[in-house]
Amino acid sequence: MSTATGFRWLVVPDEDAAEPSRDLVGGKAWSLWRMRSLGLRVPPAFVVTTAACEAYFADGGLPEGLADELITGIRLLEKQLGRTFGGTERPLLVSVRSGAAISMPGMMDTILDLGCNDEVEAALAAESGDRDFAAEVHRRFTGFYGRLVLGCTEELEDLPDTASVRAAISSDVGDAVPADPWEQLRAAVAAVFASSRSRRALAYRKHYGIPDDLGTAVTVQAMVFGNLDDDSGTGVLFTRNPVDGAREPYGEYLQRGQGEDVVSGRITPKPLTDLEERWPTVHAELLDAAEQLDREGRDAQDIEFTVQSGELFLLQSRPAKRTARAAVRIAVELVDEGVLEPEEALSRVTAEQIRTLLRPEIAPGAADTADVLVTGVAASPGVATGVVVDTPEAAQANPGSILVRKSTSPDDVHGMIAAAAVVTEQGGATSHAAVVSRALDTPCVVGCGTDTVAGLVGRTVTVDATTGHVYAGALPTSAIDESDDEDLRRLTRWAESATPVRVGPDVAAPPIFDAETLAAEDLGEQLPDIPTGTKTVRGAVFCAPDGVRAALDAGVDAIVTAHRLPVLLAAIAHQRRTS
Amino acid sequence: MLDPNELTVHTLTLRQLGSAEQLAEINALPIADVEAALEKAVADGAVMAARGNYMITPAGREFLDEVYLRAFAGLRADPAVTDAMDSFETGVNKQVLSLTTDWQTIEVDGARVSNDHADADYDAKIVEKLGRVHEKTQKVLQPLAQQNPLVDRFLDRIGAALIRAEGGETDYVSGVRVDSVHTVWFQMHEHILRLTGRERPE
Repeated sequence: MSTATGFRWLVVPDEDAAEPSRDLVGGKAWSLWRMRSLGLRVPPAFVVTTAACEAYFADGGLPEGLADELITGIRLLEKQLGRTFGGTERPLLVSVRSGAAISMPGMMDTILDLGCNDEVEAALAAESGDRDFAAEVHRRFTGFYGRLVLGCTEELEDLPDTASVRAAISSDVGDAVPADPWEQLRAAVAAVFASSRSRRALAYRKHYGIPDDLGTAVTVQAMVFGNLDDDSGTGVLFTRNPVDGAREPYGEYLQRGQGEDVVSGRITPKPLTDLEERWPTVHAELLDAAEQLDREGRDAQDIEFTVQSGELFLLQSRPAKRTARAAVRIAVELVDEGVLEPEEALSRVTAEQIRTLLRPEIAPGAADTADVLVTGVAASPGVATGVVVDTPEAAQANPGSILVRKSTSPDDVHGMIAAAAVVTEQGGATSHAAVVSRALDTPCVVGCGTDTVAGLVGRTVTVDATTGHVYAGALPTSAIDESDDEDLRRLTRWAESATPVRVGPDVAAPPIFDAETLAAEDLGEQLPDIPTGTKTVRGAVFCAPDGVRAALDAGVDAIVTAHRLPVLLAAIAHQRRTS
Repeated sequence: MLDPNELTVHTLTLRQLGSAEQLAEINALPIADVEAALEKAVADGAVMAARGNYMITPAGREFLDEVYLRAFAGLRADPAVTDAMDSFETGVNKQVLSLTTDWQTIEVDGARVSNDHADADYDAKIVEKLGRVHEKTQKVLQPLAQQNPLVDRFLDRIGAALIRAEGGETDYVSGVRVDSVHTVWFQMHEHILRLTGRERPE
């Protein structure tokens, strides 16, 4: 592709081009090319290759001829969109992002809206009729550039306008954002290159044995705007429902919206039917693209799109986030559609997700008449019943009790490990109690208020950490059973044939190591040592992923557990990593 | 400064239950010194031994409160340290807790659910932000690190946890049973609270 256009440092990923080498253009640009080759419309882009990065380090600066090629590359984008870089009418803005063949930490984030200055802001305000939008574009760009290119470490996000961002940058690094868009572009490309050898990028490579000189490519892509006129807008689309996994597109659209408006929740978008009513042709094109991307990705996709003056642009497509319920449904459905083999479908569902699904809930109606003792913030979901204790020592002496504390600290962790649930008076969703409980998968309610828990000591209570209520007495619970649910039954069957480890309530073969018989203080902050020659392990600690890993590493061939699927999935994931 | 005996008892306030090796990993003393200190502390009633693991006793905590007054009087009177602690509590500490929460839970259709770590981009962004907070913390805690070298060791251990998390070992952000970012961060927080004689804010 680049030979045809005579570029030395650039590659243009378009539908007519041959597949570019990932090593040369990076993963991000490769996926842009992939979308183009499917006939999908993405904002036009070009890539500065890893070869230019290598030359940058060899020459101690941007290599000979790159500055001219950047101009040629930008001219291509201008031509396709009918806009001008740095123009006083219909200006072109671009994003600049890094892209290595292997994604690495410490590399530079994306710079958006590059090419903005005072004149461009005015041009953008005139074109969109929205001064605030133009000012916001300028403010955000100034912040991106200040942080990523000039190395400003001050928080710039919360500053109200461009002037204050400029002042903060100037006082922090004694430098300013250049007004010349071409200078901005050259400096941004150099900054991406330099970031591939930042301290953290180098530390990461050293640890993982990746060569020090592995460079990065730089993707320069046109920005498109969803708020230029009434025929513009922005939205997101899930190819399958993220809550229940049903195979139906699900999404939102915001007329005259910019990307962040939808993602940030600043404005409430409308359902996708809104787009269907306004623009049936664009809507049809979008659904068609969604179908292709779902098939191409062999997984549910989360697609960001923008309509600019009636023209649909796909910005990004990636595997969609989903609830545990949806993950199960989607994995099984993909097998039924013939997209995945059962073995691969098992990698789309994690042990943690199944644990989430099998978690008991308070039986329907049981809480209606129950006495609510205290209420706080639900920090780690689940339900537990037990006797209330107020010290970590008491929790260790009485495993399965409910530990209540004013707040927790590292001193309490051994008690939290032994407790069935944790309740605190102070702190929010990010407190120590919340973080540690989530890591332990222990139900936790935080922030119930001062002096609320002392009166509970010695009582039997039921903690519902899904709603944040603590009830008097023991409430009945209900849970999904693995064998009652068709999807879970099928996944379990597939998982059994994917691992030699035997898992279930009655698989024990001697010698057996039973963690439940250990003294509570031996189940401290590390896993118990499994005696050499053990064939079977039993105990809650061996049903969590880290316990399963330890059991497999010790050569155990059976794990006793009531819930089979989470243990099987953890075993399969560990096999995958270690084989 | 603390002598090896005092430092070893102090380390048991950062890790509730630990072996000599685990304590040495935190406080950087030679293992032989930690073992000798533990033996003495058990004889003095400051520490309890339980099958190769050690715990601090209430008497041990009282002993430390006396020790701190002597050992850290200069540090506690230093206004630069006070400013650093204020900045730590209101800034980077809050950021780490909130990033840890983002790591553990994701928003799906408006509700927060457990992060299944299927979205590598989402995870990478959080580790990236933690890396930036880690770098900033080194600057913020500079006044303490100058007077107490152990602060730097905590920061190095947090950096090591970050690298493992970057390599896909998801336990190393908030896991309880490993020296994860959150585990070591909390040890460090407890350590500097005790150094400066401050209460943990909630």
